Amino acid sequence: MRLICLLLLFWITPIHATNPEPPIRFGLTAVVVTENLRFLDQWSQYLSHKMGRKIEFVLRKSYQDVIDLLDSGGIEFAWICGYPYVQAREPESLQLLTVPIYRGAPRYHSYIIVHHSSPYKRFSDLKGKVFAFSDPDSNSGFLYPLNLMTEKGEKPESFFRQTFFTFNHAETVQAVSEQVADGGAVDSYIWEYLAIFRPEITEKTRIIKTSPSFGFPPIVSRVGVNDSTVNLMKSTLENMDEDSAGKALLDRLKLDGFGHFSDSLFNEIRAMAHKTQRANPIYSMLPTD
Amino acid sequence: MLSPKSWSLAIKLSLTITAVVTAVGFMIGAVILAQDWKRFQDELGAKALLLSEFVAITTPKAMLRKDYWQLHLSLKNMASRRSDTTGGHEVITAMILDTEGKVLAHLHPAENKIDLPFSPENKIEEKLFQQAMSARSTIVLSSEGFSKKGFQEGVVPIFSDQKYMGVVRVRLSVAQLYEKAKDSAMIVLALVFCFVILGSGLGTIVSRRMVKPLTAVTQGLEAVGRGEMTDFTPIPINERDEIGHLSVTFNQIMAELAEKKMLEEEIAMSEKLVALGRITAGVAHEVNNPLAGLLNCIDTLRKHPDDKKLIDRYLPVIDQGLHRIKDIVHSLLVGLKIEESQETVSIQHIDKLHDLITAEIGDRNIDVIWENRTNRELHIPGKIEQIVCNLLKNAVEILPEGGRVVFRMYQDGSHLVIEVSDNGPGIPSNIRNQLFDPFFTTKTNGTGLGLWVVYRLVQSMEGIIEVMSDEDQGATFHVSVPVITMKAA
Repeated sequence: MRLICLLLLFWITPIHATNPEPPIRFGLTAVVVTENLRFLDQWSQYLSHKMGRKIEFVLRKSYQDVIDLLDSGGIEFAWICGYPYVQAREPESLQLLTVPIYRGAPRYHSYIIVHHSSPYKRFSDLKGKVFAFSDPDSNSGFLYPLNLMTEKGEKPESFFRQTFFTFNHAETVQAVSEQVADGGAVDSYIWEYLAIFRPEITEKTRIIKTSPSFGFPPIVSRVGVNDSTVNLMKSTLENMDEDSAGKALLDRLKLDGFGHFSDSLFNEIRAMAHKTQRANPIYSMLPTD
Repeated sequence: MLSPKSWSLAIKLSLTITAVVTAVGFMIGAVILAQDWKRFQDELGAKALLLSEFVAITTPKAMLRKDYWQLHLSLKNMASRRSDTTGGHEVITAMILDTEGKVLAHLHPAENKIDLPFSPENKIEEKLFQQAMSARSTIVLSSEGFSKKGFQEGVVPIFSDQKYMGVVRVRLSVAQLYEKAKDSAMIVLALVFCFVILGSGLGTIVSRRMVKPLTAVTQGLEAVGRGEMTDFTPIPINERDEIGHLSVTFNQIMAELAEKKMLEEEIAMSEKLVALGRITAGVAHEVNNPLAGLLNCIDTLRKHPDDKKLIDRYLPVIDQGLHRIKDIVHSLLVGLKIEESQETVSIQHIDKLHDLITAEIGDRNIDVIWENRTNRELHIPGKIEQIVCNLLKNAVEILPEGGRVVFRMYQDGSHLVIEVSDNGPGIPSNIRNQLFDPFFTTKTNGTGLGLWVVYRLVQSMEGIIEVMSDEDQGATFHVSVPVITMKAA
């Protein structure tokens, strides 16, 4: 399916015959709602137009896939989650490019959600229930609830009866709304986005816990991409709010814009990652086709 | 009229044919529908199995990974595939269970939580669940009977590297098939209905054709019963079957009967002529006798026209002879005239005869005893009056001085009974056989027609006349005529 989407993207996006340079590849993950192909098409055309180079969005199921693509040089830029960003890599293969500004700040939350008809009121009520995580490399969708359990001295295996990954925040909302899972952890930005565009699923869910704010999933560049391209991409994205076309696109993303922020924005996530220490290595070994 | 036993054969036959055609039609219809339903069910079962297999193929990897979301999505995707081109189906439920019967995925996750044992809602479901859990090859489970809520369930066990991992159950509703089956049932019903109408129409035509000759035979027999044989129209012969044969035979019988009837009529006619001849001969003889004497007298008177003695002697003889001839002719005319009459009179007319007979007796010493015990309102044929009159006259004429006549009349059921008795000399046994013959008389100046007229009148009313007499013991005439019901007022 994803492959078909990708092929479609290739086919739809006209290649600029005048430009001999290879396209810039931009990896996207579940931090944004990636189902809207027409929007991505418009966004890539916008970026291509601004940068004078063809921009190609590359969609993958998991964060890990995108990180792997970054590591292997398959893509130049990626919009990833703060959790994979703070994970130490040896050698470091990515660097912070820019951070989206959401509702006035480069911050977001993790929501713990349950079905609207369920009796659960707090996170501890979900003990012994089925819980849906988004992605093993997601801050809001995995690290934060994992941390909640770690603080209680619990492990997901013992705290919940069963857990599963949807590899997609939107699908976590869907799993909870359909009561496949009793509870789930999602990105607040995605939940709010769905509340606007697909209210029929968010209406069936209820937020029982909101996390402290974290640094918004950042856009990173691969180490080794030439500075001019990196700077061009950074300025293009950060100046999107200065023209009407860019503004329209940002409005569709429900973002205020992109801005330069320091790496310290992700210190909370970093601290949480340290704390949980990823007690269960099986999550990082999950096959992600 | 309402009892089936009194229905005509044509109705019974066509009803029987209709019933048979209806029964056969419905039986064929039922068989077609049952087969149709079975085929629909089988097709749906195959479809359910196909969907189960479709899920089963994609599941082992996700099952190993405990990727409940992927398992759920595969059920959802399967259920949302609307196969409109293949007739349409509705997935009622679908589930993936592990080896212990725990839910790995369910189309209705709210009621069937994952990682909990699947709990069948009733005994039937429990049985199906056990069957599904024990299946090690693909099977189709079906609901029983013909119902809108029925289903077909495809059960496919999941194996990975020959290791049993669980089972996929996909249940399809028969609701759409039910509608389809109902539609075809309506069509079959309509066809059967047409078939029945055609069949019963044909049955009616056939039975009418068969019964028509029988009706004609019946009408013919009825005509025979009424004695009307000559104007019978032969039954047309269309077929050479048993009924045709019957018609031929019946036509022959009718022809023979008609011939016989004609012969009888001819015989009766010649008998009438014979009787007429006898009467004519009698009349001739009776009239001839006085005529010879009369002619003699006239001849003698012509020869001696001035002989006053002869005139005084012969004129009374001539007068007597002519009166006798007049009497004979009168009696014959009166008798024949009344015989043809259909007029009726009040019974009180009879009582007037009492006065008449008293006048007839005049100065003679004869007793008349009169008993009329009939209903005064009664009307009777006028012929009775003549009968009574003749019998009374006979009795009075024969009685000597001091004799007695008894007249009795009464009703006996539908019969009017008349009895006239006298205590006269009685009827000698040797002449009783000739008593009612015309011109038979024992009286010197009798015409011999009185009792003959009585006899003929009684006969014309289909009555009976009897005579009881012993010599010197008088005689009793007993007449019984069936007239009461006919003319009762």
